[in-house]
Amino acid sequence: MVLSLTLGALVSLICGLDRVAILQVMISRPIVAAPLVSLILGEPLVGLQIGVMVELLWLARLPVGAAVPPDDTQVAIASSVLAIILGRTLGTSGTELLLLCLFVAIPLGKFGQYFDRYARQYNVRLVRQVDTALQRGSFVAAEWLHLRGLVSFSLASLGTYIIILLGGLSIIPILWPFVQQPLSYSSGWMQLAFPLVGITVILGTINVSRAITLFCASFGMAFLLLWLV
Amino acid sequence: MKMAISRWVRLHIWFRLLLLQASWNFERMQGIGFFYALFPGLKKLYSKEKLAEISLKYAGYFNTHVYFAPLVAGAVLKLEEDRASANTDLEVEIDDFKEMVAAPYAAIGDAFFWGGLRPLAAGVALFFAVKGVLWAPLIFILLYNIVPIWFRILFFARGYRQGLKSIEFIQRHKLPDWAIHTKEAAVVILGGLSALMVFSHLTEQQLPGWLGMLTLIPMVLLGLVARKGLSTLLLVFITVASIFLVGLFWADVVSLIAS
Repeated sequence: MVLSLTLGALVSLICGLDRVAILQVMISRPIVAAPLVSLILGEPLVGLQIGVMVELLWLARLPVGAAVPPDDTQVAIASSVLAIILGRTLGTSGTELLLLCLFVAIPLGKFGQYFDRYARQYNVRLVRQVDTALQRGSFVAAEWLHLRGLVSFSLASLGTYIIILLGGLSIIPILWPFVQQPLSYSSGWMQLAFPLVGITVILGTINVSRAITLFCASFGMAFLLLWLV
Repeated sequence: MKMAISRWVRLHIWFRLLLLQASWNFERMQGIGFFYALFPGLKKLYSKEKLAEISLKYAGYFNTHVYFAPLVAGAVLKLEEDRASANTDLEVEIDDFKEMVAAPYAAIGDAFFWGGLRPLAAGVALFFAVKGVLWAPLIFILLYNIVPIWFRILFFARGYRQGLKSIEFIQRHKLPDWAIHTKEAAVVILGGLSALMVFSHLTEQQLPGWLGMLTLIPMVLLGLVARKGLSTLLLVFITVASIFLVGLFWADVVSLIAS
């Protein structure tokens, strides 16, 4: 379990940095991060299912200017790790456990937004230090101060991951016996609802004239083809 | 005398641009990162006394789209090179140039990359993921990154080659129009993806196919509600809670009929 948590933390750190601080090659997207961590932990399908459910949820929340979107990276990674670890501990598998992990991770993921904002606020301190270093002519120090910003972003990512894991590991084993059966009646529908809600939010905010017409036409045509052909 | 920044230094700057946002902050946003990226070039052009003054200028406020930053950096390097070699003032101040292009480039980049390309690539990759294809994440990474990597490499080179004229290059290629086309393509792909997910689920549950067309009603309604600004979290909560309650109710009905 400790090894799984540590490997999860490593993926959380690397993918968390890709969100803002370095590269931006989108390994931070849930459809990549969740399957990646679950592949490392030996159960890639768990991450793929979680990736499908989380990927589109906040895709419409754009990181424009100073806006900080919810941390879907850590939600996806931590819920995958939770689902795998608890699946082994509770001796269960299936969509119900994945859903319960997500229900716990999504609200706790709100901390990610606060931490990310705090990291960006904390980095303001670097501005003064860089100015002083440059006025002194210490260019190397100024360069290192820039890289020190990575520490804030790393801590924000790891902090979110740890909070979701601690919350999940303490709440889910208690809730599981009570919700397993009731969730089983509707788990398939809920699994379908997650990406569809994400798509509706994208539709509502994408700022394309006739987006709903285009969507309905495309949906209708694809559905009829699948159904009738 | 022509002051030139060597190919190796330019490569060094390009790699440093990958760390542009390492110290992103609410006061100067990418400012320190922009100084960090350009520094290897600046130190080739200025004496130590002048370098401190110039570096302080570059560490000031700066914010643009991260994939457009190489274009600005390339153009700024070219202008710095021209200023150093001519030893005279330029027709446009470099600071003004930076300020002039950063916001429009950010707007174009946000609309094209975050608003269009990302949902489009995610939609295509999810087709594979829904079918259980384990390569789906790789498909997303490859599909999404082709354009940004091409932008980052080509735009840096073009910015350096053209300096001020690099703005004309962006204007000529009508990138804002491309953002709209990409968003439209994303909407079409997401429509197809929704149909596939709904159809697969109905088949799995052995329910009649026509029910799938009814999905459009709640989806359009939720889309309109989302447009009013209701948060995703609340929409998820309302949807999931409704499904959960209907599931419980239906299970009770089934058990009552059975007894």
